[in-house]
Amino acid sequence: MYVYDQFDHALVRERNAEFSDQVARRLSGELSEDQFKPLRLMNGLYLQLHAYMLRIAIPYGVLSSVQMRKFAHIARTYDRDFGHFTTRQNLQFNWIKLADTPKILEELAEVEMHAMQTSGNCIRNTTTDQFSGAAKDELDDPRPWAELIRQWSTIHPEFTFLPRKFKIAITGATKDRAAIRVHDIGLHLTPKGFEVYVGGGMGRTPHLGHLIKSGVPGEKLLSYLEACLRVYNRYGRRDNIYKARIKILVSALGPDEYARQVEEEWNTLDQAAIDAPYYEIDRIRSFFPDPAFADKAFDQAALDRAKAADPAFARWVRNNTHPHKRDDHVSVTISTKPVGLPPGDASSAQMDVMADVADSFAYSELRVAHDQNIILPHVAKADLYDLYQQLDRVNLSTANAKKISDIIACPGLDYCTLANARSIPLSQEISKRFADADLTDEIGELEIKISGCINACGHHHVGHIGILGVDKQGIEFYQILLGGRADEKAALGVITGKGLPAEAVPAAIERVVRLYLQLRTSPAERFIDVVERLGRETFAEALHEPA
Amino acid sequence: MKLLTANRLTDGLVLWYADGQWVEDAAIATHLEDAAGEALKAEWAARETEVVAPYLIPVTDDGTPVQRELVREFVRANGPTIGQTTFDTAKQFKRDEVFQ
Amino acid sequence: MSQLNSSATPTLIAKDGTRILDGWALLNDEDVVGADGPYVLGFERALTELPGLNGKYGVRVNPGDDIRLLTPYMEKIALVEVNFPGYRDGRGYSNARILRSDLNYQGEIRAVGDVLRDQLFLMLRCGFNEFVLKDADPEGAIKAATDRFENAYQTAADARQPIWALRQKLTEA
Repeated sequence: MYVYDQFDHALVRERNAEFSDQVARRLSGELSEDQFKPLRLMNGLYLQLHAYMLRIAIPYGVLSSVQMRKFAHIARTYDRDFGHFTTRQNLQFNWIKLADTPKILEELAEVEMHAMQTSGNCIRNTTTDQFSGAAKDELDDPRPWAELIRQWSTIHPEFTFLPRKFKIAITGATKDRAAIRVHDIGLHLTPKGFEVYVGGGMGRTPHLGHLIKSGVPGEKLLSYLEACLRVYNRYGRRDNIYKARIKILVSALGPDEYARQVEEEWNTLDQAAIDAPYYEIDRIRSFFPDPAFADKAFDQAALDRAKAADPAFARWVRNNTHPHKRDDHVSVTISTKPVGLPPGDASSAQMDVMADVADSFAYSELRVAHDQNIILPHVAKADLYDLYQQLDRVNLSTANAKKISDIIACPGLDYCTLANARSIPLSQEISKRFADADLTDEIGELEIKISGCINACGHHHVGHIGILGVDKQGIEFYQILLGGRADEKAALGVITGKGLPAEAVPAAIERVVRLYLQLRTSPAERFIDVVERLGRETFAEALHEPA
Repeated sequence: MKLLTANRLTDGLVLWYADGQWVEDAAIATHLEDAAGEALKAEWAARETEVVAPYLIPVTDDGTPVQRELVREFVRANGPTIGQTTFDTAKQFKRDEVFQ
Repeated sequence: MSQLNSSATPTLIAKDGTRILDGWALLNDEDVVGADGPYVLGFERALTELPGLNGKYGVRVNPGDDIRLLTPYMEKIALVEVNFPGYRDGRGYSNARILRSDLNYQGEIRAVGDVLRDQLFLMLRCGFNEFVLKDADPEGAIKAATDRFENAYQTAADARQPIWALRQKLTEA
């Protein structure tokens, strides 16, 4: 993974000094809350319902065991012993004191981490495929490009006060695991350069991104992005926060006109001054080699015996491993979603174990996936049973990757000042309803995504089943969306049926799922396939209690 | 009647106005007459180095927030309803959850 | 409790930290261009009148104004006042950068409006060189902004070379 040099270290140190000074000025009264708020947000610090929340950047979701151990330490020392992994491949601490933040940022800097631009109306953490550099279907590795974008976008002087936040995602595989069509900019890395999708997003008015240009060469990527951002910064709406994202601009201008303006702007830019030259790209790329793969003797018969002796292990191997570019390795999903617990939460003890197993079995590397799970990208098949047993001791062995209980949920009204309804209790109730692992396996791949408000941090628009919490006169109600997906066939879910009170939702979902099981032509036909084949309306009636 | 609430600047914790001072336990928050509540809110809104964004919550005769504020203020007064810090605030004051 | 810093009387200060006297007069739209200049014209007025005027003028640019419409008049403009009605409106940064990097404008670019010390580093990088700054210690604010970051990752309108160029120099050394 990328290693800081003197310049990266200095910049983070200088930024932390700047923020320490801003915190001191806020505490002394020199800065008003109104003035301080955008400054603290740009350093990842929110004031939530109960306390300050600090969101730490995990660049493109990649972290080392040393960094994971640092999270455990921060959780123990400055928080209430746990942290929360988010859908932007970041980590949030929920109980932070304002006066502690400079010290925490200093601790993070020791392990080459920061909280810059994890909030605010600026360019946020670029996200990517959690299996980058490991997946069998990868065409090219997006991580060097994500790092290039990280550096270019960090304290970008022109784009720090954009109309609204700005999110970029990159994928380099045939399957899109980075949800590029629902990002402000989605980049598809192909052998012929980048395909650039602009204007996707969720929130109040969801849009799928439009392809505005193909074949942007890597060495011109930054200047092209700069042109995209400049057109947005100048012409994106600033009069209405709900219409300020780039999707509204692209939709108002039309994708062709937006593309034309970008092209025009691109041609005025001094591209040679803006674009990092090949030697910098090569330098960054050199930090992402394959690990020194261990040639461990792999005994398929031994693995089969372990699976036969331990059916829970067999299920975990079946559900939570992903094909690796090497036949003797796999990528492993560590589920943060045991039945009945909050998705994405991990205790300091669990973080320590994840760091330890990464050291023992995964070349010290971990990833945070946008579905809030943790990935070990490279694990020798020979080590799977040992790994599984260590994870199992700390409740990290739930075998539900991509299954119905692998639910994405935003923090919701249990933590968030923006939320209208709680998300996590509902996710817990749904996962309890489908606690039977055999039933879960029979249902197969099914993505449920829950947001506690229209801002859609829980990605409800692209859930096979999406759930949106709303407030009706002080009562939490939930609207159900069907048919969304975030992959290479991205589609937006549509609200189906009437809103339901929380206690009615798990049963409604079970009725929908039972109907799916009746309607599918074979177990290979997934829920989303049946919804697409028969239409959402087929399931509308099942959402409501039979009279 | 109203309750006056805010978050403390230094640690962000939830505060309630009670008998001339700020406390962390919602159970002992003072029920304020509407006019008195407005005056106190204005006074504290200007004292930004102590509390952030004070606001008033309407309460019913039995002391619970009115319907619209119910879930949000229930969560603020008692702690998250899930996870490792479930009802941490209520537990800290060794009480049952308020604003049921 | 100390004073809210931005309540200080605004000071006109240059990027080198020296206070400057403002010789410019902002003309109201009904005022005629007389002998008491130099004058700063509103954006619309500048577009209308600059074609017929000789000499050097200032132009006040609001966030929504298309800075490129001034392209034909670069020779007649000695000051551009870029207005920040609220400090979260970031359009002024693009305006300044387009002036410097695209239109090759060499005159003064002055930030006016809601200009606070925490924006100065970004403004310096985008090509601003004068500030009507709301700060109790304007010299200290300029110094802090100048010293805060030694280097930057990206090319902008200041003299800094991007970090990738500095890295290459180290390699070659």
